[in-house]
Amino acid sequence: MQFKFSKFATVLITSGIVSLPIAAHANDSSELEELRGLVQELSQQVKVLARKGEISAEEITAAKKTTPVVKASENGFGLESADGKNVIKFKGLLQIDNRNYSDVNGLGADGKNISGFDFRRIRPTIEGTVFGKYDFRFTPEFGEAKSASTSSTSGIVDAYIDARFQPWFKVRAGKFKPFVGLERLQSGSDIKFIERSYVSNNILPNRDLGAAIHGDVLEGKLNYSVGFYNGVTDGGDATTVQDSNVDKEYAARIFATPFKGSDSVLAGLGFGLAATHGNFKGTSTASGLPSYKTAGQESSFFSYTGTNVFANGKRDRIAPQAYYYYGPLGVLAEYARVSQDVTNGTRTDKLDNDAWQIAASYLLTGEDSSFKGVKPKQVFDTNGGGWGAWELVARYQENNIDSAAFSTGTNAGVVTTTRYADPRSNARSAKSWAAGVNWYLNQNVKIVLDYEQTSFDGGGNVTNAATPAATGSLTNIADRPDEKTLFTRLQLSY
Amino acid sequence: MKKSLLAIALLSAVYGIASPITASAKDVSLLNVSYDPTRELYQDFNAAFSKYWLAKTGDKVTIKTSHGGSGKQARAIIDGLDADVATLALAYDVDQLSEKGKLIPSDWQKRLTHNSSPYTSTIVFLVHKGNPKNIKDWDDLVKPGTSVITPNPKTSGGARWNYLAAWAYAQKHNGNDETKTKEFVGKLFKNVPVLDTGARGSTTTFVERGIGDVLLAWENEAFLAQKELGVGKFEIVVPSLSILAEPPVTVVDKFAKKHGTEAVSKAYLEYLYTEEGQEIAAKNYYRPTLTSVAKKYEAQFPKVNFVKIDEDFGGWQVAQKKHFSDGGTFDQIYQK
Repeated sequence: MQFKFSKFATVLITSGIVSLPIAAHANDSSELEELRGLVQELSQQVKVLARKGEISAEEITAAKKTTPVVKASENGFGLESADGKNVIKFKGLLQIDNRNYSDVNGLGADGKNISGFDFRRIRPTIEGTVFGKYDFRFTPEFGEAKSASTSSTSGIVDAYIDARFQPWFKVRAGKFKPFVGLERLQSGSDIKFIERSYVSNNILPNRDLGAAIHGDVLEGKLNYSVGFYNGVTDGGDATTVQDSNVDKEYAARIFATPFKGSDSVLAGLGFGLAATHGNFKGTSTASGLPSYKTAGQESSFFSYTGTNVFANGKRDRIAPQAYYYYGPLGVLAEYARVSQDVTNGTRTDKLDNDAWQIAASYLLTGEDSSFKGVKPKQVFDTNGGGWGAWELVARYQENNIDSAAFSTGTNAGVVTTTRYADPRSNARSAKSWAAGVNWYLNQNVKIVLDYEQTSFDGGGNVTNAATPAATGSLTNIADRPDEKTLFTRLQLSY
Repeated sequence: MKKSLLAIALLSAVYGIASPITASAKDVSLLNVSYDPTRELYQDFNAAFSKYWLAKTGDKVTIKTSHGGSGKQARAIIDGLDADVATLALAYDVDQLSEKGKLIPSDWQKRLTHNSSPYTSTIVFLVHKGNPKNIKDWDDLVKPGTSVITPNPKTSGGARWNYLAAWAYAQKHNGNDETKTKEFVGKLFKNVPVLDTGARGSTTTFVERGIGDVLLAWENEAFLAQKELGVGKFEIVVPSLSILAEPPVTVVDKFAKKHGTEAVSKAYLEYLYTEEGQEIAAKNYYRPTLTSVAKKYEAQFPKVNFVKIDEDFGGWQVAQKKHFSDGGTFDQIYQK
């Protein structure tokens, strides 16, 4: 090719020379004819090359209409059909924690300090869309699950299909986060603290099997959902097997963002209300009752006591919730109360346990805070780049147990001496404050440092277990010692 | 209960009576997926049919057309392009809609007269004014230094007609010796500097880009180029032997049914066979099949010594397999 171009150029130059007076000596007509022929031939070759270029460009343009698109960027990895209707994305979440518990009391089965490294979440995710409107998500867990109802180290976190028939009418079915808790609906990679609050972990459902209708109305300013689930205990994470409970759980949620998209200072305000209703009749082997973990998520500060104690009827939850984001400031507040029918032998009560939290965050580096992740204005780069985004966070939260759980009571007018929970090993409330720093090196990598301190009231000091008895009058109950945790996390998400 | 039944009966009666009176005109949309050089033909024909259909039924029909290499268009329909009708360059491509796409019945060709080909055409040579290379027949195309423009037979129906016409000539002049025939066609394709994907692309290459000494073209495309694209710049040369090209048409049943356009699609194709449809075809340089119109335009079309696909090549299925499938004669000669 280069040779042909050079030859062509040579001929052109030669032709120019021929046209000069000095070259008029080259008056051999046959030579001129030969040169003209050569110019024409080369002209054809240039035209052919140009035309081939045009055809290639046309073919590339045509191919774009049918060629799948491979995507690889900081926003993720995936494949997409040319029309965008079929998409598959490969996502992942890796959280490596160093969890330090300053007080060993109540930690570990053998009472030893279990501080150390922990893979909190190892979650590869495949999600996508088929036929333009059927979304799917599949997420297994290879890290250490720390939900209240299971201590398994592997399983299916999410496996669902979401059909987007209309923005206001979508149907999701499978295993997923029920549309109930605000903080629970926030992605595990976007939560502001290393562990979610008592509201999410101890009262409201974590994940469940079921189906929900949901959607956005009023130009996306009002989100609704109505769901039907197998039902899980407080903070529960359903298994993927068929539910043995006959009665199911209903959940509904409405969440408004009335100023979304406006210039108002309230543009980042959202508030809503969620509720669940279900029935569960437990047995001595499957009580259907939860245990509530401490803020550090390693041990329980409250469990129902005894094989005769189990759920026996309605379980209702209610959860008002709100967030507010304005510039670098973010605030999330949530309350949840569960009313659970519980039985212990001949005694039956409706027990009300609740939890609440208020959490605030502030981005020192000026990024806008949001319910979703933080995208640093400048990514951290050791070669003279920026410092990423830095965020300060603080939270106060409580988890309170119905006092009737610890007291003797009456049943059909007869005084009983039984309790639902033993105050020697269970506390009546946990109150925690936390402060921390989040360092977003970029939108995919985050380092977190959290300190959290929890005080317990109403019992739970196991060192005082010898006296008195679990039934009858109790005296000399000591509170469980404070829990102090210093957690750090390195997170990669994409 | 009785009241409800009475109410239903009354409503049904009222609706039943009222329906014919209140039936309103519909807006109907059709997609005709066609091959490359039919743009002008269907532009005229669609306008005529819309007018005819509005007068006949009161319905407004809007026809969209898609054009490209015939093979590519067939694949696009099989891959989901929602064509109500397909008007392609050759029967093999329409067969694919039945065999691979299961979109039409296998006996589709029997549904309309003339094997569902309302018009025919042939392959001629388009040369520059004055015919500077003195090209008169296929032999002249294999001479060294003759630049021949034809599209890619893998994607273009017209190109397959071109190829088979050249093959038929070579076979005849080489005593049916296949090796020599292949050699002849191989030499011809060695003289092809650019392979466009469709016939219209090749016309662009020859007429607008000024590449090549001769364009192997549909007769209608050659007339168009001569009379409308480059007036006075080109001449048509009719070779001593060419092929009768029969571009077929069909309703794409599955998609037409899905769209509820079966009746209008059928009427659209049938209208091609009417006097008006045939006039439009003839004016766009397609050879009409209706005797009266063919006679009227007899002088427009040169006499050609034809070979036919069924008689001389055993039909399109055989020809396709032998020449254009992977590893066929075209792959053999074009790789050399």
